[in-house]
Amino acid sequence: MPSHSPALSRARRGVGVSGPGAGRPLARNRGLRRGGLTLFALILPSIVLLLLINAYPLVYAARQSLHQGSLIAAGDFVGLDNYTRVLTSTAFWKATRFTLLFTVVGVFGSWLVGLGLALLLKSRVPGRGTFKVLLLLPWVVPIVVSSTAWNYLLATPDSPLPRLFTAVGWGNPLFLADPTLAVVTVCLFKVWASFPFMMLMTSAALTSVDGTVYEAASMDGANRWQQFTGITLPLIARSTYISWILMTIFSVNDFPTIYLLTGGGPVDATTSLVVLAYRTVFQNFQTGPGVAIAFLMTATLVVVSVLLYRQIRKSAVE
Amino acid sequence: MSTATAPLPSRRARAVDTAPEREKRGQWFRFALLLAVTLVVLVPVLVTLWLSLRPGLGSTATGITLGNFTAIFRDTLTPTWLGNSLVTALSTVAVAVAVAAPAGYVLSRGRNRLVSGYSLLLFVVQSLPVITAVVPLFILFAKLGLVDDLAGITIIYVGSSMSVATWMMAAYFDSIPVSLEEAAWIDGASVFGSFLRIVLRNSLPGVLSTAIFTFLLAWNDYLVAIVFLRSNTTFTLPMGLQSFFQQNSTDWGSVMAVAVVMMLPPVIVFAALNRYFSVGGIGGSLAGR
Repeated sequence: MPSHSPALSRARRGVGVSGPGAGRPLARNRGLRRGGLTLFALILPSIVLLLLINAYPLVYAARQSLHQGSLIAAGDFVGLDNYTRVLTSTAFWKATRFTLLFTVVGVFGSWLVGLGLALLLKSRVPGRGTFKVLLLLPWVVPIVVSSTAWNYLLATPDSPLPRLFTAVGWGNPLFLADPTLAVVTVCLFKVWASFPFMMLMTSAALTSVDGTVYEAASMDGANRWQQFTGITLPLIARSTYISWILMTIFSVNDFPTIYLLTGGGPVDATTSLVVLAYRTVFQNFQTGPGVAIAFLMTATLVVVSVLLYRQIRKSAVE
Repeated sequence: MSTATAPLPSRRARAVDTAPEREKRGQWFRFALLLAVTLVVLVPVLVTLWLSLRPGLGSTATGITLGNFTAIFRDTLTPTWLGNSLVTALSTVAVAVAVAAPAGYVLSRGRNRLVSGYSLLLFVVQSLPVITAVVPLFILFAKLGLVDDLAGITIIYVGSSMSVATWMMAAYFDSIPVSLEEAAWIDGASVFGSFLRIVLRNSLPGVLSTAIFTFLLAWNDYLVAIVFLRSNTTFTLPMGLQSFFQQNSTDWGSVMAVAVVMMLPPVIVFAALNRYFSVGGIGGSLAGR
């Protein structure tokens, strides 16, 4: 086919190549039948990296969790001792409880805020584009930076926020020194840092909702709330589900949000599993138990993500 | 919330009452609400900016100054940290895109059992806690002399961003019709040639999205940096900021100046490339396979 083929020249200009699933129906297997060797060469670097940086450490960690090791060398084989020690320690279960709370609040808190803002931004509002960009900032600004700002705002009794609370007569709250308040603060920080992601995901889903559906619904006498629960939520359900999964994974694995604000304290109130694993290995130098904690998390997440992957694939076929 | 669900007033509503009036009032109400939320949400960012521009410790001067910035670039290791962060993040982007783009092409075009198995593997890998990989890699890198080395952390960043990067590229490639490549094959192009000239050439938004994602991951990381970086000359900005913060916890002007230096690149990247970046694409890429 000569180069003046319309499809080809359109392609060169990048026109008409987008659109959801434009290439889907044809994609199945055609490419692989041609040049299977080339395709293998194309994916090879990825496989090598995956084996080296992801698979090898996993296998090593599995082995290490069964040994009484140090950071320098794996020690004697101790069987499941590390796991027993971890599973019978109160610190582990306390961290598990906090991780669950942190994740649930993080996922649903940021989802609710993100959804509300996405709906606001979908309606006609002056300066919509500017708001959209500004509201992304908490997500764009590195956690190391924003945790510094939060520390400035509320870490000590002399910080601006406690002083503001004192000024209006609400006492002098110790946001990071009181265990309960520290948990609340860390969760709020997580919601603050994550809602823009949820807002983006929801906005993307909302743009694909056809506005005429609402007209039809209001003709039928559905009020705004009924339209929201009856149309909007079901139509964005798939995307919502995916964003919940992603945020769950992000939250369970989150280290800096917690570590930089409280270091896991006070009295371990905000120690999550990742923080516990980190401290066990790099501060208490107990490599075996530390890796065992990480490995328990890993095993749980593998099971969860395989199940979710199946679920996603199933819903993709429907 | 209820005011926001309907994008436009329905025809019937417009006919019955004075909808334009009501719609206008609604608009300004929503504007005020958004403004209030945005201001509250941005307090930490504004405080960072404000303190970085305030005169330093002990000064009674008012107004704003760039003194903190000249001070941190003159008297501290901030230039080194900035350089380290830039080198690491940009190398990560380059390697991750170079690996993820061809792999994403295979995931997009070759749908057999091997390929979908690999796709599942990538999905599982991206959900694993980095902490699990960090300890074994620390031991391995200690043997190879890669601890306290920027190359070492770059390798880990590539590894931890690769799976999502591959998925993002694959999702973008899905939107490019195979018929275009077939046209090129008939012309005599090889699979690799058509991948480069037809597919990759039309994938600038996909490549940019992947690049932004990877850049942010490397730029913002703290966990890998805190484990692998030991001396203050190899610190990246997060480590630098933290070390600075601990030593000079009262000198907020300098701390916040370093913080501003650290948050500027991501903000600039987003401001410049925002239209190319679709987080919906990330979700879509997970849903599509």
